[in-house]
Amino acid sequence: MSKATSIWEKLGFRKASGVSEAGWGQTLFAGIISLIYFLPVLLIIITSFKLQTEALSIPPKFMPTNLFGLIPDAYVFSPTLENYTSVFSRAMTSGGVAENTGFDRYFFNSIMIASVSVLLALVIGTLAAFGFSRYPLKGNDTYLFVILTTRMLPAIVVIIPIILMFRVTGLSGSYLGIIMLYTAFNLPFTIWMMKSFFDELSLDVEDAARLDGSSGLKVFFKICLPQVLAGLAATFVFGLILTWNEFLFALLLTGIDTRTVPVAMSQAVAGGGIGVLWGLLAAIETLFLIPVFFVTFFLQDHLLRGVTFGTVKR
Amino acid sequence: MSAITPTTPVPGLFEIQAHNWKLAILVGLIVSVLSMFALPPEAAFWITGAMAAMVAAAFVVNAYRRHYYGGLLVAPAIAVLFVMNIFPLLWSLGLSFFAYQSNQQTIRFVGLTNYTKVLTDSLKAPENWANLTNTAMFVVLTVTAQMIVGFLLALMFAKQFPLRKYLLILVLTPMMLSVVAAGVFFSYYYDPTFGLLSYFIRLFTGEQFILMDNKAGAVAGIVFADAWMWSPFVMLLVLAGLVSVPKYLYEAAAIDRVSGWRRFWSITFPYIRGLLMLALLFRTIEAFKMADLVILLTKGGNGTMTISYHLIRIANEQNKTSEGAAISYVMLFIVIVLTNLYLYIANRRTEGA
Amino acid sequence: MSTIELKQATKKYGDFVAARDVDLSVKKGEVVCLLGPSGCGKTTTLRMIAGLERITSGEVIVAGQRMNDLPPEKRDIAMVFQFYALYPALTVGENIAMPLHHEKISATEMKSRVDKVAEILHLGSVLNRLPGQVSEGEKQRVAVARAIVRDPNCFLFDEPLSRLDVELRHSMRGQIKQVLANLSKATVIVTHDQLEALTMADRIAIMKDGIIEQVGTPHEVFAKPANVFVGSFIGTPQMNLVEAKLSKFEKGKASINFNGQDIEITTNERVGKLNSPKITIGIRPRAFTAESKASNENIQAVAELIEPMGAETLVHARTKGGNDIRVVVPRENRVKVGEALHLRPDPAQTHVFGENGKAVRL
Repeated sequence: MSKATSIWEKLGFRKASGVSEAGWGQTLFAGIISLIYFLPVLLIIITSFKLQTEALSIPPKFMPTNLFGLIPDAYVFSPTLENYTSVFSRAMTSGGVAENTGFDRYFFNSIMIASVSVLLALVIGTLAAFGFSRYPLKGNDTYLFVILTTRMLPAIVVIIPIILMFRVTGLSGSYLGIIMLYTAFNLPFTIWMMKSFFDELSLDVEDAARLDGSSGLKVFFKICLPQVLAGLAATFVFGLILTWNEFLFALLLTGIDTRTVPVAMSQAVAGGGIGVLWGLLAAIETLFLIPVFFVTFFLQDHLLRGVTFGTVKR
Repeated sequence: MSAITPTTPVPGLFEIQAHNWKLAILVGLIVSVLSMFALPPEAAFWITGAMAAMVAAAFVVNAYRRHYYGGLLVAPAIAVLFVMNIFPLLWSLGLSFFAYQSNQQTIRFVGLTNYTKVLTDSLKAPENWANLTNTAMFVVLTVTAQMIVGFLLALMFAKQFPLRKYLLILVLTPMMLSVVAAGVFFSYYYDPTFGLLSYFIRLFTGEQFILMDNKAGAVAGIVFADAWMWSPFVMLLVLAGLVSVPKYLYEAAAIDRVSGWRRFWSITFPYIRGLLMLALLFRTIEAFKMADLVILLTKGGNGTMTISYHLIRIANEQNKTSEGAAISYVMLFIVIVLTNLYLYIANRRTEGA
Repeated sequence: MSTIELKQATKKYGDFVAARDVDLSVKKGEVVCLLGPSGCGKTTTLRMIAGLERITSGEVIVAGQRMNDLPPEKRDIAMVFQFYALYPALTVGENIAMPLHHEKISATEMKSRVDKVAEILHLGSVLNRLPGQVSEGEKQRVAVARAIVRDPNCFLFDEPLSRLDVELRHSMRGQIKQVLANLSKATVIVTHDQLEALTMADRIAIMKDGIIEQVGTPHEVFAKPANVFVGSFIGTPQMNLVEAKLSKFEKGKASINFNGQDIEITTNERVGKLNSPKITIGIRPRAFTAESKASNENIQAVAELIEPMGAETLVHARTKGGNDIRVVVPRENRVKVGEALHLRPDPAQTHVFGENGKAVRL
């Protein structure tokens, strides 16, 4: 306790309630396990700084420096930023056809499609969740269950008619189509999670505000919404992680102009084996990981609270 | 609060009123069904869409006129879900009774033929069943691995220790990776000539190691990658349960000299039971859909073909649309049975506890 | 022997001192209440005895054994938590049986002991229900049952009745007192409710800002408050505390400038020996006699607000100097608003506190 704790608290290591205290021993143990767990990701990041020959070399080169001669040269590679520069500029040959990698375009698509659809689902879903929570109607549970079930269904079940529908309507390969689809994809989960948050709020303040003459809309925005910010954050992170990396729908429903990064990556590796530019691919994935990584990191506390809400009720 | 103020009288069924949603549904259904039979699919689609919009508009007007704000709030969500989920579902149900290939212009009503073909055809049924068994195997293996690893990781992070926040995000990262990258890089690690796995095994055996050349190896490779990616999800849910146990219960347990297993089973476990079941449900459903890792790691070879991948092939690559729809519905049936089984068990548990 | 002893027990959180040099000893069979406003350190003190907080310095001795470094499970102490801390997933019966598992006794004996305490606390009919399915009063009794089912070194109660309504609180007070009387263990009860403390305790320790202000029997702390804080904290309606100036002391009578008015009050000899004339006079609202005429031995005031309390009437009156004082008069005295009052304080119930806030006594 005493001084040491307060310094840690200032650095943001807040004490979570209901959690017992353990010391640096636990940090060491968890650190080793976490690093092992993180290793495959770390290797991707390391590979992103390697040239193709180094990426394919045996034995694997995994150290960027020889640490003043401590590491045998066979394991050392010379880090380069070439992969990162070529992500956006270099012409890549895939299957004999030269094409500009054009990943700037795909990154833009991914960011645009994921953020718009997650936010849209958040807006529509939060409104619906508020409706379900505050204006209960007969058979409410049934509606909710149906909504939830649509999420539980394998996406594959609806994919054929959606492909057909998109072909018929010309939505195939358009931003609108994939954004609408992802919005629907995120909605059930958003509604479910936000409803459990609204259910937890005390109604007294809302009733008081209503008696003071605030309109329903004002009550929602001024009283309810600020109280469920943690829930919004958690829902946003989950939606973002799922949408950001979604592959199947994107593969089948986006066109050349709207292609997202996962789809473009899958096409860049179509050859497989030695033909794949591992360093370049690793650089793409590393860049692609950064946005979700930081969003998750900064909303981490809310994430844990968000999961607990509604599911552990007593 | 939700009182429906009876300012507007309920219209009779055939009274033409903007808020008469019953009439709107009736007209919408009749017109849609007729157009599906009589008109080409393109026209039928737009007509059905217009009818759906009309029904939705009737609902909205009805809700507005009766000051039913709950309905208004829910309406946009229902509309999106209807267009993107419910309508396609119904459409594919319809398709499964027709002979239709998306690259041909013919469409013919064949009744249950698609289903009998999928389930009993001497050539196709065994393949489908084999794919289904493979899927079941993946479900059992990946979900078990994820539950165990996720649970252990959660136990590790359930205590407060320095740098916890930073280590936690490291463990969460695999979940944030795109499946494509995970799949591709696992194939890189598994590669017999320049892969890490092969390299380390060669250090001991002196021979190059080919993981994916038999079924056991291929399955192990896929299960390992999938479990690695999604254990953090289970961990997150379990961890949320663990930290939600009120501290005073552990204090009371210390005073009552309760320790070890008894403390876990009587105090901790009840708090994570619901979340464990939830994780189980989510991961089972996801595992049931598994296709992308298989596509990337084995392309369905070595007995790793799953029903989802099979479905994608049939419907998208071979254009056998209605046959795919029939398989979808068989899958849907299985998932609904599984989900209900889960809900039944979960409910019985809570009632019994 | 079931005893508790705290010697200079101190608990610090960083720079914040939650409990400072707490000295307290509880004999076998004695019930001591820790009483004080919220945040005074009484719960911290209790948790130090239980071992739920590590003591920063000082000593905790339970049953003659130094317990400073022992975890709660090794101290053999039973405690009733403020929010009961019932295990939500276990039935009432299983909750009560929880502390017995440690003793490795047979299932039949366990059941008979659970049944016995369930009978004492009238819980027989709810043994198979979950805590969520029983009333607040029953939850409270389950918490008590879980504590008394074993034979611990001592009992600790953290605000045991704070969540009950007035009526239940009244009846539980009696029940707990009776149960404790039969067990003859050292018991510490934390409460912020003085009525609870006065009725249940053999002795009361009054705490403020982490420090014990006074320890004494209920009678002592009421009749002889050690300082201004204890005087004001104990007793309802609150004691009147008026800052005054001692002008002279003759023949056992103190002439006091009481808020712009000179009065004479009979006090003890020590008052005459005070160094500073600045004193505080404490008079209980029930210690006034209303007189018909003004004199230099009564206080002049005007009734401002009348609060009938049933058998008695509480009068808020304003003195010449503008101080508000509370006076309780019998119901028969029909005091009206605006009426002039001549209030003679009962010398035996008039407390003089010196400049440092401590009571001036022989």
